[in-house]
Amino acid sequence: MKPETTDSALVEARNLSVSYGAKRAVDDVSFTIPKGRVVGLLGHNGAGKTTLMKAMVGLAQPQGELTVLGLNPLKQRVQLLQSACYIPDVAILPRWARVSDLITLMSGLHPKFSADRARALLKRTSVKLSDKVKSLSKGMVAQAHLALVAAIDAQLMILDEPTLGLDVLSRKAFYEMLIDEWCDGQRSVLISTHQVEEIESLLSDVLMLNEGKLVLSISLEDMDRRFVALSHDASVAEQMAAAHPLLKYRVQGAGSMNQASLFDGEPPPHVQALGKRMRPSLVDLFVALTRKPELDRTHF
Amino acid sequence: MNNLLPLMQREWLQHRFAWALLVLVPLALAVLPLTFGQVEFDSDVTSRAGPDLALMVALIAMIITTAVMFLILWISSIFIAVGTPRRDHGDRSIEFWMSLPTGHTESLVTPLLVHLLLVPAAALVVGLISSVAVSLLLVTRFESLSGWFALPWGQLLAAGLAVVARVMAGLPMATLWLLPVLLLAMLSNALFKRWGLPVVAVALGVGGSVLAQVFGQPWLLQALGRVFSEAAVALVGASGKGLKIDANEDPMAVLQALPAWAAADWLAAVRQLASPAFLLVLLLSAVLLAGLVLWRQRGAGHSA
Repeated sequence: MKPETTDSALVEARNLSVSYGAKRAVDDVSFTIPKGRVVGLLGHNGAGKTTLMKAMVGLAQPQGELTVLGLNPLKQRVQLLQSACYIPDVAILPRWARVSDLITLMSGLHPKFSADRARALLKRTSVKLSDKVKSLSKGMVAQAHLALVAAIDAQLMILDEPTLGLDVLSRKAFYEMLIDEWCDGQRSVLISTHQVEEIESLLSDVLMLNEGKLVLSISLEDMDRRFVALSHDASVAEQMAAAHPLLKYRVQGAGSMNQASLFDGEPPPHVQALGKRMRPSLVDLFVALTRKPELDRTHF
Repeated sequence: MNNLLPLMQREWLQHRFAWALLVLVPLALAVLPLTFGQVEFDSDVTSRAGPDLALMVALIAMIITTAVMFLILWISSIFIAVGTPRRDHGDRSIEFWMSLPTGHTESLVTPLLVHLLLVPAAALVVGLISSVAVSLLLVTRFESLSGWFALPWGQLLAAGLAVVARVMAGLPMATLWLLPVLLLAMLSNALFKRWGLPVVAVALGVGGSVLAQVFGQPWLLQALGRVFSEAAVALVGASGKGLKIDANEDPMAVLQALPAWAAADWLAAVRQLASPAFLLVLLLSAVLLAGLVLWRQRGAGHSA
């Protein structure tokens, strides 16, 4: 993502690092999140996604510069959380509480929480107001938590793997609610997930972390312009390899052109002539930029 | 602290059934034997009490019921309060609570207000009300219902309310005296999890004994003794005159003197706050609370 003016950026990070003792969980990252964007935060386990999100809501001590909604997350955490909502994990509702208790408590604790909206969202799920959290399945707890958070009139939603444990119908319902009802061009969402293929169509931007470092920060429009994927026959694989693609992989259902190579930037014309241009998927780009180089995915 | 009421409401929603059990179970244990059993006094007691036996019995029943109810809820509330830093870690809901716009200080202090002040105060009121029912059962078992109604309920309730008000007014002072020990236990619980209380017990108890016996430095045990004794007299007995009823005293005279005694006793407890020891207690408490807030700011012991 190109740096936006401060006026339109909801999140600005410059040279941001977060350490736990000797371990650097987030290492010198810089990015901005403008208004009205749905940003995917991608990375392997331990890449630093959760740490970055915690720093954004004042639950981790960063070095460097970080402002969220114009506020310092550490020093103005309470004020920030009145306008930003955060799901650190969906399986963390207090087990002693009934769903109605949580609505009562959030009505008192969150100035922008709407109890009526929460009840309306819960009606679309299989969760009843009288249910105790400890009697709910993991998926139902996730549905309840998402309904509660979606009832907050926040400018920024930070979601750490929000659909973990949800079945495919519930995931789709959540994404539809997010895009159709919550995203209005002024609010932004930062969402981390391992279900990259499912979420790709919703995203406007992507941040990729690898071992704490930001390896890619780009809009999906710019991604399509910058990265080139060429599907080709296996017979030209060596010539393709000589052009040093980011990634070589198999393509399903492509007939004889069942191999593909992914390039950062336009490959030379003689290489482009060997294959057929196709749109690179976010998954393949993620693998290309975060895999260990010694692993060759074309050989099993 | 505009989140005070919702945070207090959280304590009510989480603990209301436990509180109900702590009130009802001892009450049932007291009431059931009285309902089906017999009450008898030996001749020595009946001859000494004379016509005031029913009054004495009602008074003792009220004192014991109220005191037991208060002690059960106060002690259990202290244990709940000491466990609050880690209570949301078992189900990981600490992450849910930390994702809400509540300050670290108010999240730590509000449970203390509820469990160390409000719940014991409510226990006193509930205890006093229950004690009237217990006295009814007790007096009617050995005398009669009309005998219970004939008791001087105006003076009894006035005296009961005076004593309850004295203890209730002393609760904040007693809590402040005990606060360094309680906050130390909380911080130890935060840092050492289930080893927290044993660590504090060993550090203070065994450590204090070793300092006194081996190194001739009794100051830790003396400080602990001072803190506990000041907390006790903050509740009752600060004037040096305990709540005693001499066998030769006219019970009615005692009842009528109780409100004045309660007021004087409370004032004596307030005067005892004007001491360097109390200032040190406040300073220690502030440092320990700051430590707890810092612990919570750094993630409450819950890493990514």
